[in-house]
Order: sequence, then C-alpha cells, then structure tokens
Amino acid sequence: MSDSHDSSDFIKYLVNLFKIVGGVLVVGTVITVVIDIAFPLSLAWAAVIGLSIALVKASFVVAIFMHYKWDKKLIMITWTMLITFFFFAGMMGLIMWADGDAPNLARNQMPAIWVVLASLLGVLLPASFTVLTVKLLSEPAPIEAAEPKVGRPTKKKS
Amino acid sequence: MEIPYTVKPRPDTGLYNAKLGIWLFLASEVMLFGALFSSYVLLRVGAEPGTWSMGLMDIYVGAGNTMVLIASSMFVVLAWAQLKQGNLAGYKKWKWATIACAVLFLMVKWSYEWPSKFAHYDVWLNDAKVLHEKFEKGYYESASHIEPGGAEHGNTDAHGDDVEKYIEVIYTTRFFKESSDKSKTEFKKAWENGTLALSGHINSYEEAQIDFSITRWNADFGVSKADATKVLAKFSEDKVDELLQDGGELYQKTDYETAKLAEYALGQAGFTVALSVAGYETIKKHPWMWGTKRVNEDIGGKPRVKSLVFGLDETHHKEITLDVEDIKRLSAYEPKHSTFFGIYYTITGLHALHVFGGILVMLYNMLPIGLALWHKDREQYTNRIETFGLFWHFVDLVWIFLFPILYIL
Repeated sequence: MSDSHDSSDFIKYLVNLFKIVGGVLVVGTVITVVIDIAFPLSLAWAAVIGLSIALVKASFVVAIFMHYKWDKKLIMITWTMLITFFFFAGMMGLIMWADGDAPNLARNQMPAIWVVLASLLGVLLPASFTVLTVKLLSEPAPIEAAEPKVGRPTKKKS
Repeated sequence: MEIPYTVKPRPDTGLYNAKLGIWLFLASEVMLFGALFSSYVLLRVGAEPGTWSMGLMDIYVGAGNTMVLIASSMFVVLAWAQLKQGNLAGYKKWKWATIACAVLFLMVKWSYEWPSKFAHYDVWLNDAKVLHEKFEKGYYESASHIEPGGAEHGNTDAHGDDVEKYIEVIYTTRFFKESSDKSKTEFKKAWENGTLALSGHINSYEEAQIDFSITRWNADFGVSKADATKVLAKFSEDKVDELLQDGGELYQKTDYETAKLAEYALGQAGFTVALSVAGYETIKKHPWMWGTKRVNEDIGGKPRVKSLVFGLDETHHKEITLDVEDIKRLSAYEPKHSTFFGIYYTITGLHALHVFGGILVMLYNMLPIGLALWHKDREQYTNRIETFGLFWHFVDLVWIFLFPILYIL
C-alpha cells in the first residue's frame, strides 16, 4: 500500500471493509454448504456452483485482504491472477466435459421446479457476488490523497 | 551500503522490496498448488465409477474449518490495521486471535479428521457371497428391517436379497451419494467380481497365541558363547544354561509381538528356533492401521489372525465376523488405500504444512526477538506484518478452493 493511504481515516475505512469482506466470505461458505445439502446436484453442476462461489470468495480476499485493489500497479500480480482465473475456468470446463455433453441437472427423478431453482441459483449467486465485488471495488475510498503520477519506465534510462 | 526501498516503495512499481518478493513467492506457490489441483481434477475425472469416495467427507467439519480460516484471515488484516495506527497492544490482541484460529484449524485436522480416517477400513472379499452366511449370524435382524417388505421373507430367508440390499445402501452412499441406474449397475458388477469395498471399523480380532521353542544353538554361527548367553538371558531368567545346551521350550502361548522379537534377537545370536500356533485369543484393543499383509502372515501354516469382527455402517455397532481366508485386501483410509486418499493427503497435508509454517512465523513476530524491529523501525515491522498477511491470505485462498473440491465434488 502506498504512502497516500496511511491516514487514520483511511485505515478506519479499511477496517470496516475488512469486516464486510469477512461477512461475505462466511455467507459464501454457508451458501455452498446449503446448496450441497439441499440439492442433489450432478458432478458438473456441483463443480460449477462450488467453484464459482470459491472464485468470488477468492477475488474478495485478493482484492481487499491482500489490498490488490490498491496495488494494481504491479503488472505481475495481474498476470498471476489472470492465469489463475483461466486455470480454474479450465478446470470447471474439464469436469463438465467429462460428465457428459450436456450436464445432467439431477441424478435422479425429482420435481422439475427444484431443478430450475437450482440452476437459477447457480447462475444468480455468482452473478450477484460479482456485481457486489465490482460495486465494492469501484467505490472510491473516502479520503484519497492525490497520488503523484509516476510512469512505469518501459526502457532502462541510462 | 544501504539497501534501497526496504521501507519506502519504489516509485515506479509502487512496492517495497519485501512486498515484491512475497508476490513472486506467492506466484510460485500458485503454480505449486495449481499443479496439485489439476492433478486432483484429472484423477477425479478419470476415476472409474464406484472408486471415488464421495460420501466420506463430513461437510460440516469442512465448513467449520473454512470459517476458522476465514476468521483468521480477517484477524491478521485487522492486526495489521492496528499496527498502521501505531497501536501495538491492539495488534497483539488480533495476532493472538489469528494464532488461536490457526492452531484450532490444525487441531481439527490433526486430532480429528486424519486420525478418524486412519481408524476406518475397507475390506475387499474374494467372494462377496460369503456375506449371506455371515449375516445369518446375528445380523439378520437389522438386515431384514431395511424395507418394510423385508420381514415377509420369514426368518429362514437370510440368503435372500436383504443382505445385498443392505450392502448396496452403504455402497451407494459412499460412492454415488444417491441411488441411480449407474450406481445399481456398478454395485452389481462390484458384488460379482470382487471389487466391492466394504467399509467399517475393526472391533476385535482373533490373534494367534504362539508356542516358542529353541531347537539348538549353532556354535559355528560366529557369535561367542558368552554373547549368546547374554542375549538368551534377556528372554529367560532361570533356564539359560539348559536352553543353550539342549534347547527346549522358551514361551508358551505368548503373543505375536513378543515371539517375533525373540525370534529375531535369538536368530542373530545363532539360535535355531521354532514357532507354532497354540490357539487363538480374542483381542479387543483397536489395531492401528492394518493391511492384508499383516493379517495373512502365516505361522506354521496357520494365519496369524484367524478372523476379524468388523463393525459396519456409520455406527460401527452392527458387526459381522470375517474369516481371514475370505479377505482379499484390507486397508485403512491411508494414502496407499486408493488414488483418492493419495491425492487427498498430499494436498491437505501440504496445505496444513503452510498453516504450520505460518504459525511459526507469527510466533516469531510476537517474541521479543521479532518485536525488536518494531522498536527499531516501526514502519519496517508493519511492512513485515503486511507481507506475512499476504502469505496468510494465500493459505486461506488455497483452502477456499480446496473446500468445494474435496467436500462437494
């Protein structure tokens, strides 16, 4: 974190943010457990939903707890995160591919409404988490001193 | 020479040295765990149906541990925020809370999750049909209550479908979670061809009692008579001279461990010994990690262990007695049990090692030797705590992905 973010008001703002993120992580875990217990999902859907929620939780940890939101300058971190994202996306794809051409929504016969609800949840949860993430990240800190703009030198100056 | 940017960030990257270093380290960690995660996925996807234990993990324990790690992740960042405000006492409070969470996480793993697996067994039978006969002895009653229609078969019909149905329920929960056409086909196959893994707990076993006698002592073995006497004196108090001269009985009905120890030690001292099975004794203590090799070890043509009393189901109270000759393979839920447990212990073990390392670093930072930096240069100490926090969040991150993968898929 750079010097401009050392003011005590900013730290107070951060502490609140940390607590919110902690709450989000707990809620994400609870949702994962509830989905696993309440809905008998196929391997493919369990993978998609479970890993989507994990991905959202992970992005909160990286963005807020690891202050990536304020450290974006480091291009290497960005690359690590991007590669990780593609890796897990590929992982989900692999599992879905292995389980069949089209994912089976349920392992055995059950009322259609549950299947629809489960798939809706599977889409809505990650989506709402993502929206929340973006909202939190784009919200400016209350006190943010003007940073001196320093360009990243691409060539070594002799 | 003064090293630049140990405290102040480098203007072009916006990072001080340690932070750049820790991010590079974390990048390498991502690759390490990435390789393990993708191995897990490939093994999971390539597993034959009915070989991947899905119903074994207790999701509530896993979720509880996730909560503990989330809490510790939050505490470590709150500790850092306290330091930023110059409040050392507040920092210490949160840091101890973090350490407590980390220790709790490891305790759950070390004293509950792993050991309880080591005490559970799978047994593969040469022919699953012997179960019909085994169930007849004392198991019929519970087996007949599986479904309301079961009792109609009458008490003479223990060889009917009840046993198979009962075992199928256990098998399906374990490997498929829910019953389906696929699970039914797989169960039939497993029942027929001997790949059926029956899970349970060894409640007691019949172990051989061994008669141990010394045949003779070889004078030209290369051990002096004085040394041989010394060795023999460890096993026999009064008959040393007699045994050395003529041989004879050393132990009657002793236990296996004692007999094998004596066999080895006396063999090294030039004695020829003979072991024979005198009878069998029921032992109730819990055996620690048993394999078929140990069960099948023969003494004088008789198995060392004659039979096992195996507790089935989640309660382990419904017992069946299995004869050793019916057992094809017996294995605790240890790494060599199957691919699943191999990769499970590898990944969770490596993660636990990271947690343990984190605890050591946190303790160091709390000791006077670590705190000396705070008194010397507050900003540098705060940065050190921040970089540790980055590592700790990464450990939390790994668990965030491990949780759904291990407990849900």
